Amino acid sequence: MPKVMIPTPLRQYTDKKDSVEVAGATVGEILGTLTTTYPDLKKNLYNDEGKLRSFVNVYVNDEDIRYLSKDKTEVGAGDTVTIVPSIAGGR
Amino acid sequence: MIRIGDDAWQVMVDHAEAVFPNECCGAMLGSSDGETKIVTVALPLENVHAGQQATRYELRPEDLLKAEKAARARGLDLIGIFHSHPDHDAYFSETDLKNSCPWYSFVVMSVKAGRYNHAKSFLPNMEQTEAPEEALELPATNRSA
Ligand SMILES: [Zn+2]
Repeated sequence: MPKVMIPTPLRQYTDKKDSVEVAGATVGEILGTLTTTYPDLKKNLYNDEGKLRSFVNVYVNDEDIRYLSKDKTEVGAGDTVTIVPSIAGGR
Repeated sequence: MIRIGDDAWQVMVDHAEAVFPNECCGAMLGSSDGETKIVTVALPLENVHAGQQATRYELRPEDLLKAEKAARARGLDLIGIFHSHPDHDAYFSETDLKNSCPWYSFVVMSVKAGRYNHAKSFLPNMEQTEAPEEALELPATNRSA
């Protein structure tokens, strides 16, 4: 099963697990199942319109899904999905 | 509240001054007892903003992943992000807010004429609409102007 890596601040919503194995063939399916299992995770990842929040990047192995097929990006059994924050700023 | 340890603070000040007149950025590693966050390690990270780095910063997601791994290797957590405002005060700008992440404390350091001046910490909300100030405790011996 694909593995999802959870960033530290979100582990309070995943029973302290740093990675969770989730069944699914695409990023959308996997994150859907993950946030159904851990509902408190959902508001951190998705906005009210059901879109990934702008500060959430998702990687499959080492590739940003924005440059693949976004939530339709296919995920194999041995792949790792990683949630990574997006941070910038200025003055 | 967030407290920054001597060694971490020295690294942050040195980095902010070294990178002046550009904005510096980096990760803060430490632990939290639920109420107080204690930063024990600061990791300078590269500002990868493609334009004018005197007014903008951007972190590479891969570097944040590395910072998280570095934290775990030390038994710590990635708890905050720091950046500097060269020749400007330490406030949370509209640009900071619109590109923030609510999972971390954001420390902003004011550097004036190349020297550290003052700093503040902020806690942006999930909707990126506001970032209340968080109490920030710095080492007593800091080189504040
Ligand atoms: Zn800023």
